[in-house]
Amino acid sequence: MSSREEVYTRHGGKGGDRGKILAEMMNAEGKAEVLDDILVLDVSSANFAGIICASFLAEFGAEVVKIEPPEGDPARLITPFGVTVQGVGIPFMFEGRNKRYMTLDIKNSDEDRKTFAALAKKAAVVIESFAPGEMDSWGIGYRQLSQINPGLIYIALSAYGQYTDKAREAVRAPDADITSQAGSGLPAQMGAPEEDPEPFSWPLRGGMWAGWYISGLSAAVGGAVALIHRQNTGEGQMVDVAGMDAYSSMVGMPATIGFTWEKARPRIGVLDFILYPYGHWKCKDGFVAIAAPRDHDFRALLKILGLWEQEDDWRYSSDRIPDILEQALHLHRIIEEKTLQYTADELVRMALNYSRKSARSKWRGGGVPIVMKLMTPEEAMTNKQWHIRKAFQEVEDEKLGKYTISANFVKMSESPPRVKWVASEIGKDNDYIRKKYLSD
Amino acid sequence: MEDYFSYTAELFNLDDANQKPEALKGIRVMDFSHVIFGPVAARLLGDYGAEVIKLELPFYGDLWRPATYWGKYWKHSNPIWHNITKNKYFLSVNLALKQSKELIYKMAETSDVVIENFAPGTADAWQIGYEKISKINPNIIFLSCSTYGQFGPMRYFPGWDLLAQGASGVLTLNGYPDTDVFYKLPDYVGDFVPGNFATLAVLMALYHRRKTGKGQYIDMAQTEGLMRTLFHYTYYSVTGEAIGRTGNTDPTMMPASIFKTADDKYLALACATSGQFQKFATAIGRPELATDQRFAETPDRLKPENAKVLTAIAADWVKTKSGEEIVRLADEAGFPAAEVADDFTIANDEWRRKRGSVVLFKDDVYGDLVIAGPSAQLSGTPSRTKWLARPLGYHNRVVLKKFLGLSEEEIKDLEKKKVIGTFDDRPGLKPPVYYNLDEDPIYNYGKEVRS
Repeated sequence: MSSREEVYTRHGGKGGDRGKILAEMMNAEGKAEVLDDILVLDVSSANFAGIICASFLAEFGAEVVKIEPPEGDPARLITPFGVTVQGVGIPFMFEGRNKRYMTLDIKNSDEDRKTFAALAKKAAVVIESFAPGEMDSWGIGYRQLSQINPGLIYIALSAYGQYTDKAREAVRAPDADITSQAGSGLPAQMGAPEEDPEPFSWPLRGGMWAGWYISGLSAAVGGAVALIHRQNTGEGQMVDVAGMDAYSSMVGMPATIGFTWEKARPRIGVLDFILYPYGHWKCKDGFVAIAAPRDHDFRALLKILGLWEQEDDWRYSSDRIPDILEQALHLHRIIEEKTLQYTADELVRMALNYSRKSARSKWRGGGVPIVMKLMTPEEAMTNKQWHIRKAFQEVEDEKLGKYTISANFVKMSESPPRVKWVASEIGKDNDYIRKKYLSD
Repeated sequence: MEDYFSYTAELFNLDDANQKPEALKGIRVMDFSHVIFGPVAARLLGDYGAEVIKLELPFYGDLWRPATYWGKYWKHSNPIWHNITKNKYFLSVNLALKQSKELIYKMAETSDVVIENFAPGTADAWQIGYEKISKINPNIIFLSCSTYGQFGPMRYFPGWDLLAQGASGVLTLNGYPDTDVFYKLPDYVGDFVPGNFATLAVLMALYHRRKTGKGQYIDMAQTEGLMRTLFHYTYYSVTGEAIGRTGNTDPTMMPASIFKTADDKYLALACATSGQFQKFATAIGRPELATDQRFAETPDRLKPENAKVLTAIAADWVKTKSGEEIVRLADEAGFPAAEVADDFTIANDEWRRKRGSVVLFKDDVYGDLVIAGPSAQLSGTPSRTKWLARPLGYHNRVVLKKFLGLSEEEIKDLEKKKVIGTFDDRPGLKPPVYYNLDEDPIYNYGKEVRS
């Protein structure tokens, strides 16, 4: 065990062996694919929540067919700064995991709708993102498909959901990431305080697809619950995900705080509502994240930074997270004055050294102040931890060449998810699908 | 044919929800986890019918029990904790004692899932890890949650949602270009998103076990959960450049930003496709934009020089209208728009209550509390809330008598030896001041209750 590892090892476990045994145990090669007996049809359109949900099922081994019109899903062009590789956008490449591609124009062609229904008869899951009721009006909604396939799980993604008067009124409102974020409460909690200059004081969009990934993940969790019920009883059901719910329903805080406090939280910049210190600080050569919110962690941080004289004023967590913003910012500046005097590496080392001694001494109260150098996504890709854990994977698309994705998002000893191939070509598997599922 | 929305209203009728079957009925979960990441994974299983037994230390309890926003309690409880850990049985056991472990081992015989999020290696060192539990029950599904994973050189580093955000890179993305102004994602998204990934993994393991009879070990690292949501890595590997921070503009659609309206509301508006953009151009009275060669095709519209012009056009238009008017116009035309919702609007929007994504729950101990409903509504086996969080050790008797068959005398002996215990006088751990536990039939399960 290296000294770095030893720092946080407070138990007498045999550290080194356990790591090696586990790494071997989690090797995905040759393992079972849990969903290898189900067919999933993804007809979502211009909606990545659907594509993402389909990817998760594909990573767990389902046969996922992406069905799109001959000109392709418009989602192919939803990509940062318009960057594409041979007409395929980056997010579409990133999510093109273990999928089959088939062309059907269900929007315009009766014939193709019949083909779709014939496929749906054999499918376990259908994923769609058209306006609520649109598939139904084409005769291929849940109402009709469940008649021919009672075990079907039908996942529908939209802005306001499939039922309620609101959903009926706003039936034409499409779902997009930024509107899902805004409508479900994320940006309201992010940004500089009201007194700061515009636009910094505005609500701020999360810099990743928080809306679409949360919707897609929610749909996959709901779909997995439905799969278990189907496995037990043979019954299917409808799963309804609304982008305007995504964030607030997953984290729960907006609803409950809005009720108990009877108002909305203001934006408080880099501070946190519950924990302090819990955020990032500027240092000599960049930024560090510091988490030392428990009282004994905080005391340890004060010692490391040579700020022990502050202990009296800020002893309890309730002192450090006051709803008087000026008071909280005062402490923040005191800490920043110190962090600015050191490099990130120095601060990390100071915290590690303290924690090492603290772990061995009962007089130090066991404080574990955590300091870490902030990384960009690009820097994260170089971290040895993720190489050992195979968290990044270089993949090769027949047409688009090699690129890197994040993969293997959970390690499982018996039935892990994995990426077997990537592909994006429109209609690539038309023949394969027709032959396999439509020849009888 | 019956109108679609009448059909779905019946299909998803909330009044029937509690009578519908539960997909995970009969699944027993031992939840050793604390704070948010592990507890949320366990709670989701409970929401769909699993029996979740949460273990906590007597007198201390889960670290998150007292951790409320700005220290504001509600009826001596932490209001947000009711969302994080409802529907569970609260058992308080002192893990340091041998007798406590025997209780856990006994429970392991009839459990299906174990969830823990101690520092990696700790559960094994305490003899309650996968190694030990899988010997007692070889078909167990054992989920270990951590920030960096159970193996790899960083495995022993402690972490919180913040560190996972920092290690995945997502923390540096939320802010403005050409500045060093950026923020972490709020509300511990770095716990909730990986918590949902962990639940997905457990559900897949349950599915696998039903097919093969085999349990398994699951290693969920919260950083890897967040990394799965970033196509930024692929962008970098393809272009050699970083996406970086783009402020309030989503660089994948155009227009797509948060703007300010004439009535000083904040409003998000987006056009994901050329079709949506045509509708937008018509709605703002500038149909010629849809045929302008800079904007007609999606890839051209997304080019930074054109995107800048279009964002300014959209901002100028939004400035002239109220938020309500724009959302109405957008819903009619068919392009995405939404006002920025805050805590108060989310808690009070009528449609969310009707949908069941925000729920006024009537609890036997705490009375009325607004909590979040599920982020996916299921027509056949819906998620439901049975009870909110409970004081520390509230279900000791129910769990030990009903599930483990212990007698009142045996329980009194365990209390005397401090193997099991309850709360001390701190808010977050104790019951509301008005509530008389002596008269509570669940707290006193199997005992005579004064009434």
